[in-house]
Amino acid sequence: MSGIFHLEIIATDRVFYQGDCQHLVITAVDGLLGILPGHEPMVTTLPTGELKYMVNDSWKYAAISGGFIQVMPDSSIILADSCELPEEIDIKRAEEAKERAEEMLRQKQSIMEYYRTQAALNRAINRLKVSQKHFR
Amino acid sequence: MPNIREIRERIASIQQILKITNAMYLMSSSKLKKARKAYEATSPYFDKLRSTIESILEHTPHTRQMYFDRRENIPEEKRKKGYIVITADKGLCGSYNHNILKFTEQELEKAADTGNCRLFIMGQVGRQYFNSRLKNSSRAYVDGEFLYTTQNPTLYRAMEIARLVLDKFEKHELDEVYLIYTEMESSAQFTPKTVRLLPFVRKHLGVAADGTLKKLPKASFLPSPEEVMANLIPNYAKGLIYGAMVEAFCCEQQARMTAMDAATSSAKDMIKSLSLLYNRARQAAITQEITEVVSGAQAF
Repeated sequence: MSGIFHLEIIATDRVFYQGDCQHLVITAVDGLLGILPGHEPMVTTLPTGELKYMVNDSWKYAAISGGFIQVMPDSSIILADSCELPEEIDIKRAEEAKERAEEMLRQKQSIMEYYRTQAALNRAINRLKVSQKHFR
Repeated sequence: MPNIREIRERIASIQQILKITNAMYLMSSSKLKKARKAYEATSPYFDKLRSTIESILEHTPHTRQMYFDRRENIPEEKRKKGYIVITADKGLCGSYNHNILKFTEQELEKAADTGNCRLFIMGQVGRQYFNSRLKNSSRAYVDGEFLYTTQNPTLYRAMEIARLVLDKFEKHELDEVYLIYTEMESSAQFTPKTVRLLPFVRKHLGVAADGTLKKLPKASFLPSPEEVMANLIPNYAKGLIYGAMVEAFCCEQQARMTAMDAATSSAKDMIKSLSLLYNRARQAAITQEITEVVSGAQAF
């Protein structure tokens, strides 16, 4: 792997990661997107999904919900609503949130409420997925 | 010479108030600890969000995205302006509320036609102030359905507020949106501040390293600038409102703590000087009594 770039991942409640990174893979709106040093300047939004970045030749994973990324040739900044390591995810809580959201979806709701519960369900499923995949 | 009983009652009542202010001081200091922790956790996000958006706007190509619609065909006096104002829910926090309310009034004066101004006020104090103030005038009016508390700010509440104002902007109920909140310069220095939320303005030129203006290079947007902006701007608005809420709440607690600390210490001072007065009066009474007894004895 040639070179490194500066990566900052900042969630609303903390600075998640700040440092060097060799390779970053994000879930963009239409699929996975890999970012290497020297990438062209780019801006895109990040839906709820998975994120991985390589530091010292080892991959690190994280569950991310809602945000955007600004890529520059020598640095990238991710600003997200929340970002968690697989081992930080509270599986019980995520499962409860998932059930709650599923229960809500069975009720008759306005379009707005429907979107909201669907987003909540997505977040819960994403958390469960990331934690099951990488933390066992 | 004041009455001894009066002084005693005065001291007792001040002691009662001292108890209350001291309790409020303790409460606000524990709340401040929490608020400060939240503020310290959020401020990197808040600062980065603003600087990143600024740099993104420098690299944004031309877009017809609706949040960039400056509506220049609407003359200045017809523009509908919305102000989100963050005040406290309660009083007794020194000049915190006073400052933000005065600042808001000044901002309103600046607007060409205040009849088109709409206030979205968070916090009871500001709502009541402007409700009684603006009731009979044709100046700005307060949105009565906008009921949000400033206690313990959450991302969810910020999201609702952001969605509400963006929605009004889209429906042309508002042409410009500003956010007024209290900024924490240092732990003792607060200043009210206005931030423009909408519409967004793209920057065409930037200052280059050698000080000359140059055209900025454009970044690529995936999948398209319009789509990215449609997602990014609500996100930005949410983050901005959340950050402002957290900062204002922290300021409020800090202001209340300082105010209550000052109240407690001045109550203590008052008790001190009153008890001096009380002791003097008591001594005078005793002296008088002795004089009376002695002169009575001499008479025999």
